[in-house]
Amino acid sequence: MNRFAFLLRRPFELIPVLFGISLISFLLLQLTPGDPVRLLLGPKASEEAIALIRQRYGLDQPVVVQYLYYIKNLLGGDLGQSISFRSAIGPVLLQRIGPTVYLLVYGLTLSVLLTLLLGVSAARSRGGWVDQTIRLICVMGVGVPSYFVGLLLVLLFSLKFKVFPVSGYDKSALANLYHLFLPALTIAISVTPILTRNFRATLMAQMNAGYAIAALSKGVPEAQVFWRHVFWNSLLPTISLFGVVASFLIGGTVVIENVFNIPGLGLLLVRSVLSRDYLVVQGVTLVMAAGIVLSNLLIDVLMAALDPRIKT
Amino acid sequence: MDRRSFITSALAAGLGGPLLLDRLISTAHAAGTKVLRIGYAAPVQTLDPIKTVFGPDIISQGMMYARLMKANADESEVGPGLAESWTISDDGMTYVFKLRAGLKFSDGSPLTAEDVAFSYNRMRFQKDTAYAAPFQPLKTIEAVDPMTVKFGLDRKFPPFLKLCEIWNTGIVSKANVTALGDDQFGLTPTVTSGPFKFVEWKTGDRVTMARNENYYLPGLPKLDGIEFIFVSDVNTGVSMVQAGELDVSMGVPFGRMKELEGAGVTVVSEPSSATYDMLLNQSQPPFDNLAFRQAVSFGIDRQVINDTVTAGYGTAATSIFSPKLAFFDTSLKVIARDVEKAKALLAQSGVADASFTLLTNAGTTDEDKTAVLIQAQLAEVGITVTVSSVDPGQVWTQLVAGDYQAQLNWWYNETTDPDNAVRWCVWGAGDNKSYYTRYNNDEVNKLIDEGAGEQDEAKRAAIYAKIQQICVDEVAQVALYHPSWTSARSKAVTGLTFDLGSQYAAIDSADLTEG
Repeated sequence: MNRFAFLLRRPFELIPVLFGISLISFLLLQLTPGDPVRLLLGPKASEEAIALIRQRYGLDQPVVVQYLYYIKNLLGGDLGQSISFRSAIGPVLLQRIGPTVYLLVYGLTLSVLLTLLLGVSAARSRGGWVDQTIRLICVMGVGVPSYFVGLLLVLLFSLKFKVFPVSGYDKSALANLYHLFLPALTIAISVTPILTRNFRATLMAQMNAGYAIAALSKGVPEAQVFWRHVFWNSLLPTISLFGVVASFLIGGTVVIENVFNIPGLGLLLVRSVLSRDYLVVQGVTLVMAAGIVLSNLLIDVLMAALDPRIKT
Repeated sequence: MDRRSFITSALAAGLGGPLLLDRLISTAHAAGTKVLRIGYAAPVQTLDPIKTVFGPDIISQGMMYARLMKANADESEVGPGLAESWTISDDGMTYVFKLRAGLKFSDGSPLTAEDVAFSYNRMRFQKDTAYAAPFQPLKTIEAVDPMTVKFGLDRKFPPFLKLCEIWNTGIVSKANVTALGDDQFGLTPTVTSGPFKFVEWKTGDRVTMARNENYYLPGLPKLDGIEFIFVSDVNTGVSMVQAGELDVSMGVPFGRMKELEGAGVTVVSEPSSATYDMLLNQSQPPFDNLAFRQAVSFGIDRQVINDTVTAGYGTAATSIFSPKLAFFDTSLKVIARDVEKAKALLAQSGVADASFTLLTNAGTTDEDKTAVLIQAQLAEVGITVTVSSVDPGQVWTQLVAGDYQAQLNWWYNETTDPDNAVRWCVWGAGDNKSYYTRYNNDEVNKLIDEGAGEQDEAKRAAIYAKIQQICVDEVAQVALYHPSWTSARSKAVTGLTFDLGSQYAAIDSADLTEG
């Protein structure tokens, strides 16, 4: 069997996962007290107006009926109506996916670059001052929560030196390299230490592995052993860790979106939970779940491509 | 390339790349347009003025829809807006407004009495209107001719004139609303009557507006446009003003005001009509007991709470509504905390279990501070307060259902007329049961109706003084303090005043100057 055969199987595994997530998040929200219509129309609205809106959004129906309607619409490609924005959810979500994906990809790209740089530098100078400095930076990076890192970066780069903006998401992808640099750097600062420590440790272990020592003892130049063999073999565990970190970040951008005011999925999710905008929460949850499944799939493909031994 | 120079150049490229981009982008921005960027900590939810009572909605709608009456910047006076003049019948029950000549909507189409009648009928009688409550006496609205609108009331109601200034009486285009349908109109109101017209609404992010060339006041507005932006974190908003990414950030935390005063931005605190209070559910023990309510009232130090929470940007409450409203009884003093008196009242009340649960909205620093102070102050009286901090959505549900003992809350009044205020907070006969406290005093209810129908200013003042006295004596609710509206602004902003009623009433004269 082809080692990429799982690619065909995966999409079907996605269905029960998404179904389960939709059911759980739907029930969780319904069990939370709080009336979306009262929150929508506000304290000064009449009971009559509230009843009318409840009826309009089907909120007067039993929960089971509401869920079945939801599933029926979902199968037809309709994510439903947002109560608080009084509009279809699809377009609202679409507007939000861009900033979050951009931020994640940007942040993770920075993280990968930094990880490669720092991991290799640390491993190559094992025990030296470069290694020690990187270790210190990593410990600090892991220890400080990302919203705090974000605030510090804003203070330093936006307010003191005025080189990067506090906020903003622009239309052009190029402009966003600038606008989203600080938030991406914040992600990188929170992610890189974990990856770097892992990468460095693997590099060390691989350099002491039998094949590396054998090659060295046969007179293969150290640089060649490192770059041709040790480096590539060390990538695997770090990539799988990267997958875990990326999945975790998909649900965790909200903190960063908040600090830098990026109109992404995370902010939408928090607002929608507060306003009990049930179907928007559902929509965002589904998109995030799909994102996590997708990123896991990408990692699996990458692993399979790098390592023929892996069978998924 | 050796390792060290590799690292340095990689870092330089990482930092320098985005910086270079900045040069490319900043030149791309259009020069010379004056767009005021305002940040607010909640997103706009609808652009249809009859469907909302929330801050971000009414602020942005106030910029897009002109009203019959127009307030001056601080809302101390209300005068002609779209209406040039008006007459009130001798019985005080018929109002006839004459429109200005040549009024136009933003698309150049004529604005007539037909549109005014349409807008008022929607606001007053459409089933899903959010705030018809203060307009109860209004029964008929009719366009007599293209320049004249006639309103029929079922009683004498002097507050009506000022109400014709509030945001939900904004005039919309009948043709536009009919063509788009309610839902689409709420999303993209392509025709407006106010100083600014609609350009774009990115849901949950920002509303963009541009100057309405057909605005009825010549030479105004001064600005070319407005961006009303959702900035979820107020501290981020402040940073954005400091970095020049916003011109105004509304709602600066009181604790940061002093620090920012010396930081290159203009820090503004403006009088509000807001009252922060502790609502007491009087339909169940222990707050159905008058002496117990009084014990709580005397056990609380309003001055300390005000000073701690607002850091001086507010005043301790003496009455049930704000001192900025008309007929506020200035003879009332801040109730001095008196632990001995409170203890005596507690003993007199006969309440065996001197304890209650105080509900607060989770995540609101000001409420956390207030709750802790109340807890400590009442502990000295011998009353145990359990603070329960829950999600705002749940708070509302409990409040409306009467499933609570005490709750921290706040409200403001749209106009300076107190009719709306007392109907909101102590009118037991009203829909909201005295702001869900279930306080219901027949005498107060009667006085409220009398006050609304009285045309003699001195007599009205006496009526409202009496209402305030009774409500303070009976502890209808525990008003704590009246905060100012705060904001941080860039130095370039001029002529911008946030008024009592949570509006930029004179947004048409606001400007951005080079500086």
